[in-house]
Amino acid sequence: MPFKSTAKTINRRTLLKTSAGAGFAAASGLLGSPAIAQNRSISVGAYGGYFEDSLKEHVYPKFTEATGIIVNSVTQPDSTSWLQTMNQALKAGNVPADLSMHTPLNLLKGERLGGIFAPINTGNVSGVDMVSEDFIHASDAGVLGVGVFSYYSSMVVNSDEVDPVPASWAEFWDTGRFEASLGLPKNVNFKFLDVVAATFFGGVDALRSHDGIVATVEKASELHPNVALWFSAESQMEQALKNFDVVGGMYFHDVAGLMASDGHPIASVFPKEGCPIDFNSWTLSVGSGKAAEAEEFIAFTSQPDIQSLMARKIGTAPVIDPAKTDLTQEELSAVAGTPAIKSPYEVYLDDETFITETWDRMVAKG
Amino acid sequence: MSKAAALPTRLAKVAYIGAVLAMCITPFLLVFAISFGEKIEGAAWVWGFQFDNYKRFFVGADYPNSISFLYLKFLWYSLYYAMIASILAVATCFPFVWLMTRLSRRAQTVWLVFFLASLTLSEVFVVMGWDILLSNRSGLPALFKETGLTDLLKETGWFDVLRSWGLASPRNVRFKPTEFATILTMTYLVWPYAVILLYPPLSKINNEIIEAARTMGAGPVTVVRTVVLPMVRTPIVGTVLLLFVFLLGAYVTIAVFAAPEKHTLSISVYEAVRGATLNAPFGSAQAIILLIAAAVVLVFSRMALERGEK
Repeated sequence: MPFKSTAKTINRRTLLKTSAGAGFAAASGLLGSPAIAQNRSISVGAYGGYFEDSLKEHVYPKFTEATGIIVNSVTQPDSTSWLQTMNQALKAGNVPADLSMHTPLNLLKGERLGGIFAPINTGNVSGVDMVSEDFIHASDAGVLGVGVFSYYSSMVVNSDEVDPVPASWAEFWDTGRFEASLGLPKNVNFKFLDVVAATFFGGVDALRSHDGIVATVEKASELHPNVALWFSAESQMEQALKNFDVVGGMYFHDVAGLMASDGHPIASVFPKEGCPIDFNSWTLSVGSGKAAEAEEFIAFTSQPDIQSLMARKIGTAPVIDPAKTDLTQEELSAVAGTPAIKSPYEVYLDDETFITETWDRMVAKG
Repeated sequence: MSKAAALPTRLAKVAYIGAVLAMCITPFLLVFAISFGEKIEGAAWVWGFQFDNYKRFFVGADYPNSISFLYLKFLWYSLYYAMIASILAVATCFPFVWLMTRLSRRAQTVWLVFFLASLTLSEVFVVMGWDILLSNRSGLPALFKETGLTDLLKETGWFDVLRSWGLASPRNVRFKPTEFATILTMTYLVWPYAVILLYPPLSKINNEIIEAARTMGAGPVTVVRTVVLPMVRTPIVGTVLLLFVFLLGAYVTIAVFAAPEKHTLSISVYEAVRGATLNAPFGSAQAIILLIAAAVVLVFSRMALERGEK
């Protein structure tokens, strides 16, 4: 879901927590909407599978109960292809969903493409000031995105094989300990490069020049003898961790926690340099006539009790100050940690081809 | 009357051929046209006419600051895997089909139905099966460990040899990601096609010819080598080429079993078109070059075959 992998573009939760097919989910969402003319309604896009199902089960009914607005769930395959779908549909005069979910990268992309996202009048969204500024996407045209959830990619290790757990990411470079043992993301968008920059170059700002990118990628290339798997779909990494094909690497913090609670010897670690945080935002489609409903909906999902609900049921981290929620320390550490490494998103866009090809060449030894 | 009837018939024919041509050529022309498009950094792409995407294929995007043969390497692996696996499939399939055609009609039918049915297994299913068979805790490596073979390899020193070949981690043997697993799965994938393509020419070979050769004193292997093989040389080469073309598009197998440094163009094309960069023009340029490379291989093979027949 939040990241766009390659190939199968697998939405993380669909595969991980196998659920009913997205098609079924979409169909049942449509069936669930009674055709009463005076009812207010809004169509909301969400990543198909476990994620969309959970929203439909836990969040949308509460929203309808509170506001009388019916939610028609629309299945998004992910953020990137959905942006393409929206772009094409909007040009043809259709609105695929009033609200959609997008990653920060695709928010920026959509903003640059133009004609996709309509500004959200945050003055009408009560409680939006609780949402951390890091998660609000403001542009010249106004606010185009309001964060809905965040998540962390952390260091994961097999706690049977790796003892003690590393205190720094730098320990992964120790071939004596980790020869042919690590699973790392194949795609640059998974932000392992941010980790390398934070660990060896004083922070992600090192990526703001071509020389900095090259130096960081060269440092990452030293990991080759230790990498057993460059995964392109998260299911590959999940399997590799369970099968002991790898004993360490980078993976989703909350999913690693779920695997641990299922009895796998897996620990999710926040080393001293921290772990990358990422988030997703609600966006309003150009041409949607449901701005008022959208404002109510965004206000609703920004509420502390809904943020806690999502943390408990879906495993996402809040986009508001956790102290405002009723999450216990244990519940919070299951979905979040410190410190957070914040990605320099503009670099991944402005230098897209350069950073992608430099990274791909390193991975492919080309 | 005949003239009045012929006109609509002719029109229908022309319309039909036109429609078929349009269906075949339009997607190709579209890809060709997109390959000259221009990528906008941080957004999508726009139509255009420039050769940057083709240039990038041969020397990389950063040229002239640095030069990269990354995509040429992907092209090489596309051709390499497809050629090795198609030759292996035909080579291992040939004796089987030959023996199969010597069975009773009824037995042949059963085998053919079996292979036709196995075609319903998609690449995804086949890969999933082999993935389990080759995984550390559910497949061959587990068997190696449980039977003590891993320890035996370690004692005899062969384990270090396997490690240097990339077929072992410090803990156990490993088969993925490896070239071995990739080629094995690709070969398996096209085996049923090889059976179905080789069956017609081999089943047409008359038993009397074989018997004649046998009565002149040739052993079974000699018969196959000197009588059967020359008779079906063209279908064999044709089968190899067809499987080769089919395997150029293999995607799931490569994604799961090949290490990224040995990935193919099909992965790279997909990542460009559908991946995060939304760079359809570069994906299209790669696809066009793959197409041209495949065509060159086919033309040369055909020329070699014709020369061999003279």
